[in-house]
Amino acid sequence: MAPTECFNCQKSRAVIIRPKNRHKLCRECFLAVFEAEVHETIISNSLFTRGERIAIGASGGKDSTVLASVLKTLNERHDYGLDLCLLSIDEGIKGYRDDSLETVKRNSRQYGMPLVIVGYGELYGWTMDQVVEQIGKKGNCTYCGVFRRQALDRGAERLGIKHVVTGHNADDVAETVMMNLLRGDLPRLSRGTNIVTGSSSSDIKRSKPLKYAYEKEIVLYAHHKQLDYFSTECIYSPEAFRGSARTLIKDLEKIRPSSILDIVRSGEEMAALVPIPDGGQAAPEEDSAVGGCGSQNGRTRGGEMAEMEKTLTENEAAASLETEIKISPLQTSAIPLPKRKNKPKKPQQKPTSKKQVLGKCERCGYITSQKWCHACTLLEGLNKSRPKTTIEMEISPEEEESSATLRRQMEQVQLTG
Amino acid sequence: MPGKQLSSPCMDCRDADSVFMIRSRRLCRNCYIRFVDYKVFRRMEKYRLRKDIPKTGPCRLLLPLSCGLGSAALLHMIHTQIEDFRSKPYGPAGFDLHVLLIDLSCISSRRLPRDDIVEVLQRRFPLASFTQLPLHSIFEFVPDLQEVLPKYAGQGYADDYLLSSKERLDAFRASISSATSAADVDSILLNRLVVAFAKRIDCLGVLWGDSDDRLAARTLASVSKGRGSSLTWQVSDGMSPFGLEFNFPLRDLFTVELQNYANSFPELADIIVPDTPLSDNVLTKNLSIDQLMLRYVSSQGTKYPGVMSNVTRTANKLEAPRMLTDRRRCALCDSFIHDLGGPTMDDKKSSSLPEFCYACDRSRPGLS
Repeated sequence: MAPTECFNCQKSRAVIIRPKNRHKLCRECFLAVFEAEVHETIISNSLFTRGERIAIGASGGKDSTVLASVLKTLNERHDYGLDLCLLSIDEGIKGYRDDSLETVKRNSRQYGMPLVIVGYGELYGWTMDQVVEQIGKKGNCTYCGVFRRQALDRGAERLGIKHVVTGHNADDVAETVMMNLLRGDLPRLSRGTNIVTGSSSSDIKRSKPLKYAYEKEIVLYAHHKQLDYFSTECIYSPEAFRGSARTLIKDLEKIRPSSILDIVRSGEEMAALVPIPDGGQAAPEEDSAVGGCGSQNGRTRGGEMAEMEKTLTENEAAASLETEIKISPLQTSAIPLPKRKNKPKKPQQKPTSKKQVLGKCERCGYITSQKWCHACTLLEGLNKSRPKTTIEMEISPEEEESSATLRRQMEQVQLTG
Repeated sequence: MPGKQLSSPCMDCRDADSVFMIRSRRLCRNCYIRFVDYKVFRRMEKYRLRKDIPKTGPCRLLLPLSCGLGSAALLHMIHTQIEDFRSKPYGPAGFDLHVLLIDLSCISSRRLPRDDIVEVLQRRFPLASFTQLPLHSIFEFVPDLQEVLPKYAGQGYADDYLLSSKERLDAFRASISSATSAADVDSILLNRLVVAFAKRIDCLGVLWGDSDDRLAARTLASVSKGRGSSLTWQVSDGMSPFGLEFNFPLRDLFTVELQNYANSFPELADIIVPDTPLSDNVLTKNLSIDQLMLRYVSSQGTKYPGVMSNVTRTANKLEAPRMLTDRRRCALCDSFIHDLGGPTMDDKKSSSLPEFCYACDRSRPGLS
C-alpha cells in the first residue's frame, strides 16, 4: 500500500493519525499544529503578559515536560517575553519522586530554565513516606493533594512569582467535569473547567495552557519530539481503581473522538449556569480543583462511589423523616396567619448558606476560610500521633486505646476531608 | 385481639404481606402504589392548584406518549389524579390532559402496540384527549426545517420536494452516518415536533415520561455531546427556551419501580411496548453516546442508584437565566446559543450557513 500523504502539507509521509480528528499528518505538521493550538489557547485567553515571570509546575511526567518544551518553543517563536522557570514539589516518595526529580533536573539543563524544588519534608516536617507509614496506604492522596497545592503556592512565593502553570490536559478537565457531575459538586465542576483559577482567593494565579490538548496528543508530541520524561506512576496509587469517570471518557473517545473537547465545552457552559449563593463570589478554591497527580487523576480509592451512595441513602432517609416539617409551609401558605410559624426554621437554614469569609490561617498565614488552613488541620492530626520524644516508654493499655481512637478519628478526617 | 400472622408485613399499613421492596422498605401492593403515585402527585401540585398560573380558563398540558414504560405509566398516574380531582364537587380547577402519540417506527424498532391504539387509549383514559402523529409530520408543523435540513446535512443529502415527507425524512436521516449524530438529531426532531404541536393546541407545558435513570443517562450523554447548557431544559423542570414549561414528573422514580407499578395494572399491559434490551455484544465504538450512557447508568445504577439520581438532581440545580446569550437561536434545535467567547474549536466557519449551536454543529454529517 502506498504511504499516505500528510493531510496538511501533502508532501511528506503521514506517520500520525491525530486522535482528536483522525487527520493523518506527518511529524513536522503534527508538531506545528500542536504548538499552534496551544499558542491559540494562550492568545485567545490572554494567559500571559509581557515580561511576566512564570513557574511551570514540573513533575517530570509527560504533561509538564511537554508544557515546558512547548512554552519554551512558543516563547521564542512568538516572542512572549516570558521569564520561565521550573518549580517541582518533592513529596518525599522514595523510588518514585527522587527518580522523577532527576528527570526534572535534566529538563532544567536541557531547556536552560532554573529549577526550584520545594519539599514536603522542609515545609511540613512530614514526607509522604512518613505520612503513609502513619496512616496507611488508603486515603493518603488527600494529604498529598492538600499539601501539594500549598507547596506550589509557597514555592512560587519563594521565587517571587505570581503565576504558576500546570500541565492539566483536556482529558483531565473532562474527567473533572464527569466526576463532579457524578459527585453532584457543581462549584468544583465550575472551578475545574476554568482555564485560570485561584486568582480571587490567592494572589498566585494558576492556569492550564494545555486545557484543550488531548492526553494522547501530548504523548505523541513527547514521543516525536523525543522529550525526556518519566513515566512511572506514583507507587502509592497503583492499586487505586480506575475511576468510573475515566473509563467512561475512554469509551466516549472511542465512539466520538471529539467528545473530550465536547465535555470540556459542556463544562464551560455549565460553569456559567452554576448558582452562586447570596450573590457573592463563587466559593474560594481550597483544594485543587483538578485532582492531584497526573497519573491518578480521576481515579479514586476504590469504594468512593459506594461511600457516596451510602451518604446519599442516609440523606434520603433523613429527608423522609423530615416530610412533616416540609409539608407545613405548603399548608400554611393558604392561610396568611401561621406564616410566623415558619420563622424559627430560618436560623436553622442560615448556617448552611453562610458566606465563606477568607482570612489567614492562624498557624501558617495561608489563605483559608477556617481558623486553620486545610494543610494545618491535617498536620495537626498527624503531629498528634507522632511521639514527641524519640525514646518511648512502654505504652500502657489505656494509651494504646486512645491512639486507636485517634486513628479512627483520623480515618474520619480522610473521609470528610 | 391477636393481629394477623404475616410473615413479612408491609412496613406502612402492617395489614398485608409485603410484595415489593422500595428504597429499603418492604411494602404491600397498595402502599407501594400509593408511594409511587405520591411522588408524581407532588410534582403535579403546581397545575392542580394552579400556582402562579391563572385560576380560571383553560390549563392544558401535553403528554408525549411513545408507548414505552415511562410515558404509559405517567399517563396512568396522571389520569388517576384527574379522576380524583374531578370527582370532588368543590375541588380545584386542575388541568386538562392532551396526549400526543408519536409513531416512532420510522426512527427506531419501536412500533405502536396495535393499530387501533388511539381508540383503545381513549376508551381506557376517557378524561384525556388523544392525537396520533408520525415523526415526519414535523415538516408540516415546522416548515422552516425544510430549508434547514439540507444545509445542515451538507453535500450528502439532496432534498427532493416531490417525495413524501416520510421519504424526505428517511433520506435526511440516511445521510447521517454516525450512530451518535443520528440519535442526537432524532431526539431534536422529536422535541421540535412535540413543542410545535403543544403550541398549536395552546398547551401551557409538556409532561415528559422520563424516569430518574433515563434522565441521568440523558444528562451524561448531553454533557458528552457538548450540550451542557441544554441541561436546563432537557432534564430540568421549568420554563424551556421554547416558551413552554417542561416537567419531568417521574424524576424521583427508577425504571424498576415503574415496572413494578405497571405490572400492577393489567390495563397497561397491552399498551406498553417493552424496550429492546441492548445487546452486550455490540462493540463500544458502534454504540451511540446515548446508548453508552444508558448502559452505564443501568450497570452502575443497580449498584449505586443514589449516585445516579444525584446526577439528575445536580443538573436540575443549574440556573438557565445565568446563560450568556444574546438570544440567538440554533437553526436545528431551536435552543439559545450559549455564547462563551474565547476560542472556538471549529476549524472553519462559513457565514452562508444558518447558525447552529456548538453541539448541533458537532453532529453534522462529515464532521464526526
